[in-house]
Amino acid sequence: MGALLVGIGAFLARTENWRAYAPLAGDPAATGGSHEHEQGHGHKPSGIIRWLTTVDHKDIGVLYGTYGVIAFLWGGVAVLLMRLELTTPTSTLIEPSLYNALLTSHGITMLFLFGTPIIAAFANYFVPLLIGADDMAFPRINAIAFWLLPPGALLIWAGFFTIPLPVDIGPAQTSWTMYAPLSAQQPNPGVDLMMLGLHLTGVSATMGAINFIATIFTERGENVTWANLDIFSWTVLTQSGLILFSFPLLGSALIMLLLDRNFGTTFFAVEGGGPILWQHLFWFFGHPEVYILVLPMMGLVSWILPKFAGRKLFGFKFVVYSTLAIGVLSFGVWAHHMFGSGMDPRIRASFMATSLAIAIPSAVKTFNWITTLWNGRIRLTAPMLFCIGFVSNFVLGGITGVFLAAIPVNLVLHETYYVVGHFHYIVMGMIAFAGFGAIYYWFPIVTGKMYQKTLAKWHFWLSMIGVNITFFSMLLMGYLGMPRRYATYDFNPALAPLASVELLHQVTTFGAFLIGLGTLVWLWNIVQSWAEGPEITDPDPWNTKRDGLHGREFAWFEEQLAADGKLATTDGGEASDASRGSSELRSDGGEADEEQLATDGDAEEQAQPTDD
Amino acid sequence: MGADRPEATAPDRRDKTSPWPVVVVLGIVLSEVGILFNLYPVSVTGLLLFTGSVAGIVTEAGYAVRPWRLLVGLGAAFVVVGLLIVGSQVDGGLASYLDAAARDDGIVQRGYTVAAAGAIAALVGIVGSRTVDRVVFR
Ligand code: HEM
Ligand SMILES: [Cu+2]
Repeated sequence: MGALLVGIGAFLARTENWRAYAPLAGDPAATGGSHEHEQGHGHKPSGIIRWLTTVDHKDIGVLYGTYGVIAFLWGGVAVLLMRLELTTPTSTLIEPSLYNALLTSHGITMLFLFGTPIIAAFANYFVPLLIGADDMAFPRINAIAFWLLPPGALLIWAGFFTIPLPVDIGPAQTSWTMYAPLSAQQPNPGVDLMMLGLHLTGVSATMGAINFIATIFTERGENVTWANLDIFSWTVLTQSGLILFSFPLLGSALIMLLLDRNFGTTFFAVEGGGPILWQHLFWFFGHPEVYILVLPMMGLVSWILPKFAGRKLFGFKFVVYSTLAIGVLSFGVWAHHMFGSGMDPRIRASFMATSLAIAIPSAVKTFNWITTLWNGRIRLTAPMLFCIGFVSNFVLGGITGVFLAAIPVNLVLHETYYVVGHFHYIVMGMIAFAGFGAIYYWFPIVTGKMYQKTLAKWHFWLSMIGVNITFFSMLLMGYLGMPRRYATYDFNPALAPLASVELLHQVTTFGAFLIGLGTLVWLWNIVQSWAEGPEITDPDPWNTKRDGLHGREFAWFEEQLAADGKLATTDGGEASDASRGSSELRSDGGEADEEQLATDGDAEEQAQPTDD
Repeated sequence: MGADRPEATAPDRRDKTSPWPVVVVLGIVLSEVGILFNLYPVSVTGLLLFTGSVAGIVTEAGYAVRPWRLLVGLGAAFVVVGLLIVGSQVDGGLASYLDAAARDDGIVQRGYTVAAAGAIAALVGIVGSRTVDRVVFR
């Protein structure tokens, strides 16, 4: 530990040093204030030190993105192992205890280590660009929020790393909901480590949320008002509000659970607060959490989908209002996760009412997206395909949610695969889809390259077909009564249709591998295109200027290209889209328009083939 | 809000880096793990890194001119917290506190660890303000 302190001292001394000698730096002794010496012209250090010390929102966005992708891959591997096990009713490939551990890790990884961070990646990179800010309001807090995540992940996964070691620490088997008394009584220290890790990621999310709220309130550019704030920033703002009110609660509940586990308190013990208390606290956080994940993704789709429909987002204001409505309502529905827990039926009924009500703003959004497409000039680029897939999957995911919110239906389907199907239509079919769409859409800005169009389409179709095979057969299994979270289903065929269930499980596994295959195609495409793809010289790769839908982020990109001397000359870069009438050469297209809408670009066709 | 931050006025004239965030994080992580599992070298290191780097980052961001007073304040706060934790397990005056230190009681040990780390941080702050300022900053 002492050596560690010395090492850190050396690191600090070294990094402080390069700043002191940065070109143009003022003499710190002369200026007196300790921060003045930062005013030297910005030269980033190189290599790993640059990434360890950066407080630039774009770098941090890239860090968040890389982190999210790594988590996504681990979560995917975990679930494919589980799916292989489930091709047969008995336990063949892995022990049930390992199955439970993978299940827990998959859920927590995907929600906390992939979902929340991947949104933070887009928000960090693009919200400042979209609102015309120089950076986040608190750049250093931004860096702290990111750096809390890697140790968080190491702690959450710690139990897996210790499997080969001769210690008595294993992966947690609590499932992501960590229900007491199970979670309070498992003696495995891996559970404590996981909860500490979760606590860290919660602190991280809260810091990030405070930063986004401050940024959007105080750092907007001169001509960015509340009236023309873009839809993505609106959803990030709402999401940050939800985080602010829910994550600290999760953090506190986790600490109470840790105290129960290690210090003999009785918050969630039967003789104390009772196990149901955990469920209330957890879901008071847990339901807003699902909207924390989906709202910004809805914002991304609302931003990108119009660009490829050639029309402004239909009913912009109502999309904003519905976002706010969902934000508020999402705190009033948590007990729909507990209908079977023996609550007072009158309370239960009121939660059913609020849950059904949340379908209204959700449907408003759906109709707005569909209306935006209506009579539009649709161009099926990869980002657009993912947006349309998103809307389609929301119809299934949302409606199954409404069914589940009806108490009589819920009591039958609760804890079956129907629930798993419902929320995976949303978390995979929407959250991951919007993420992929946004990655394709902004790939030129972040990497300066263009991705490979054909591979992207393979990725989409494999994912879309895979999602619908996998999760629709889960809905069917739910109707057959297959309970969720079991490693085996070797029940008596006289009690339930075992053959059908087994077949559906195999179909589900097949679909999951289609998704896995699509993901590999995506990974290859991104890595290879980033490394070797053609450099982008066209500041409007999606051809959005023509429709007056050029966003601020691409205007920024244009400045960037111009500054680097990479901007295509008028007859060079423009030549490729001549066919599509790139007549609108207003330097920053529609971005001054009241509602900032995105539009379309046939870009994909032109940016890809030839580069100069 | 942006106005009182130096970088808001000269966004492109800085290297957009800071060595402190990773240290703050390391401090938080080691303190949490150390305190939960009662590993006092880990807790003390973690708390020292945490208090030190918070003082450092606040100074670097321009919210304070010198880190020392904040370091003393944070250290003192941890002394109070640590003693409160000990106090939750003992009744009576000074003697019973001293007694408790000898006891094999995990909670008391954690309390004393926190208090000791805070005391070291505060001490470093006091010493720093008397010596480093004079030498480095004149
Ligand atoms: C149309 C709005 C929605 C309604 C009415 C709704 C309703 C429900 C209900 C009643 C349940 C409990 C099922 C049960 O365990 O018996 C549930 C579970 C779940 N929902 Fe939704 N939902 C909606 C949208 C969403 C969205 C947008 C997400 C994610 C972003 C989501 C994610 C989840 C998750 C993760 C669970 C399962 C939690 C668990 O037990 O592990 N839902 N939903
Ligand atoms: Cu819910």
